[in-house]
Order: sequence, then C-alpha cells, then structure tokens
Amino acid sequence: MPGSTGRTETARPEDARPETARPEDATGHERATGCYIYGIVPGDVELDPDPRGVGDPPGRIQLVRHGEIAALVSDVALDRPLGRPDDLVAHQRLLDATAAEVPVLPLRFGAVVTDREAVVEELLGPNHDGFLVALNELEGRAEYVVKGRYVERVVIGEVLEENAEVARLREEIRGKPEEATWDARIRLGELVGEHVAAKRDADTEVLVNALAPRSVAVVVREPTHEQDAVHVAFLVESERQAEFEQVVDEFGDRWPGRGTLRLLGPLAPYDFVTTGRPEGDNG
Amino acid sequence: MTMVQPAGGGASGRGSSSGLADVIDTILDKGLVIDAFVRVSLVGIELVTIDVRIVVASVDTYLRFAEATNRLDLTQTGGKGLPEVMQDMTQGVGRSKTKGIAQGAMEAAGEKLRGLVGDSDEPDEEDREPAPRRRRRREEE
Repeated sequence: MPGSTGRTETARPEDARPETARPEDATGHERATGCYIYGIVPGDVELDPDPRGVGDPPGRIQLVRHGEIAALVSDVALDRPLGRPDDLVAHQRLLDATAAEVPVLPLRFGAVVTDREAVVEELLGPNHDGFLVALNELEGRAEYVVKGRYVERVVIGEVLEENAEVARLREEIRGKPEEATWDARIRLGELVGEHVAAKRDADTEVLVNALAPRSVAVVVREPTHEQDAVHVAFLVESERQAEFEQVVDEFGDRWPGRGTLRLLGPLAPYDFVTTGRPEGDNG
Repeated sequence: MTMVQPAGGGASGRGSSSGLADVIDTILDKGLVIDAFVRVSLVGIELVTIDVRIVVASVDTYLRFAEATNRLDLTQTGGKGLPEVMQDMTQGVGRSKTKGIAQGAMEAAGEKLRGLVGDSDEPDEEDREPAPRRRRRREEE
C-alpha cells in the first residue's frame, strides 16, 4: 500500500495470510490490518464458505471462538477508510443472514480491534456470560422493521382539508414571490409539519397496537424522513413470523392509499441488544 | 406481500438509495457499541460514512412542506378533468376544492400502493443468496 509511513520490514500481503498480518511485535503501533467485528453468535455455529465482509477486496469472514460464544470477524486494512456503501451493506447483510438462522448480537458499524487475540481477551472473555445470556434470550427471535412513508400529496391534502389555518396560509402565499411571503411560508410549513407529525404519531400507535400482541418487544424508531408515517422495530418469535407478516399485510391493505408500507426482515436485533449496559438502549 | 429484504444493491444497481438508507438507519446508530466493551485494543479506523438522514423539524423541512403545499395547489390549477374544482377556486372557496384533490390523490396513490405491495419481494431474492448460511450443530444432534 503506497502512502503509509514507509515501514517496510513488516509489510505483508494481508489478504494472502490474514492470520499473520500482525506486525505488532516489530513496530509497536503501526499496523497493516485490524480485526473488524460484526457481531457475536453462539459458539456452536458453522460458517458456510465464502461469506463476504467489509473492505476492498471484501474480507473473508471468520469465527473467533471462546467458550460458548464466538465473534464474526474479518481482517480489514487500516490504511483505507471504511464506510463505502458496499461496506455498510456487507456489514448488515452478514448480520441479517446470520439472524435468520441463529441468535446474533449485532455490533454497530465500524468496530475494529487490533487482532483476533484482542477479540478474545477484551471482548469475548470478559463479557462471556453476559453475551451468552443475551444470545439465549434471542434464541428463535429476530427483528423486523416496519417502515411507512406517506404519499406527500395525499397527506398534505388531508392536512389542508382538516385545518383552516393551513388552507388560509396557502391562499396567502399563492402566486406571490418567496421573498414577500417568507414568514407565511415558514409558518405554513411548520403547521403542515406539526400536523404530519400528529398523523405519524396516530398511525404509529395504531400499528404498534396491532403488532405488539404478536411481538416480544417494540421500539419506535425516530422518523428519518419528513414523510415517514411509521418507523417501528419489532422483536418477533420465528414461530409467529407468518402471523406477524400477515398482520402487516392487512395493515397495508387497510391503509387507504395514503402511502407505502414496507417490512424489513428478518434482521439482526439491532434495536434490542441489551447487555446490562446503559449504552445499548437508544431506540 | 410487503416483504422486502434489507440489502442495498440488487436489480436497481448497488447502493440504491432506499436500500442504503435502510442500512444507514440501522447499523450506524444501533447495535452494540464496542467502546463499551473494548478499550485497550480498540483501533480507531477512519469511517467515511455519510449521514443522509435529515432533521425532521427544521426550517428546511418547513420550506419544503410549504413548497409541497403550494405545489399541490398548482397541480390542481393545471389538473385535468377538475372543472368544479376550478370554479371553486375562482370563488375562493377553500374546503370543497381541497376535498376534491385529496380524494383524487388518494385514489391514485391506492393504485401505486397495490403495485408496490404486489411485486416487492421478487427482485430482492437474489440478494439473499450471497449471504452465509449457517447451521447450528446443536440442532443437528
């Protein structure tokens, strides 16, 4: 890799011998590769060949086992930034595919430690029992995310119809230049936003009420788009997956053409990982 | 089926915006944080992730909503087959015309929804293939 600091005595092709690309003994702090961690799984899982990880070329996924748990890892070059779309997708795809088969504790994107020994000594070892309890709780469960997005014309049409002040402000700015109606535009947009938010809350409540009885746990996610209608994560028993999906479908059919509803999953339980640390619960 | 797999890429090309947005919504601020568990051997790798999420309550959003509300009006003015609505508008009657446009839009959107619900699970089938499959030894015993 050109552009590093010129240490050559430890340079090795890391993709050829991932196990040995650990120059710590020779250099102290300058490293060619780190160990990227995707998530934690029970120790009795087997990897199918050829899953692809983050990096370019994609890292080979390996298991670091310790006791009854294991970490999904791959080597990653440290001299290139991570976070290309392919990296993000590789991270989530691996975890979601895993979650479809076995319990998994997903790590947030970007977790890198020095090497595989560190995975055992600092991550798996000290937290073995807590991770194992969490994995056992997740046995037979996976996350589903329901995302709904309003059709803008429809939802704003509703707001216009239901709110005289919105309609009045719209009349006020009609045909007038933006500069002359700045305040009215801001006020109009703010009002519309408030009413859309109220609709979002109401629709979210209906959805949660319908699906909570079919779920183990629910986390209402923050809206990530101004036309978001619902954005909710559910932890669902695999046995009830079909039932859950059916309710979502029925909900979508009942929605009177106000938007689109999507169901993502099964996913790794990103919204439900708890290990007794306050950090984990920020839905 | 409303089923959609979460992966980006797929038929519409890698990193299609909705797929990638779904990923970003999920893995950048959710999941276990390694810093809570690992300190000594933590490697601070440079991340180039872009936060594409928008702040829902902001002046930008307000202006967009205002513009969208305004545009709704314009669509109506140039809309096809809405003579009654045109009349109402010239008389400055607010309620009846908004009702007309809301109903029209809801019908149109209803068709769109059905279309999306119908075919959303097929193009993503391929995305599931490259992912690793695992078997638990425990289950085989």
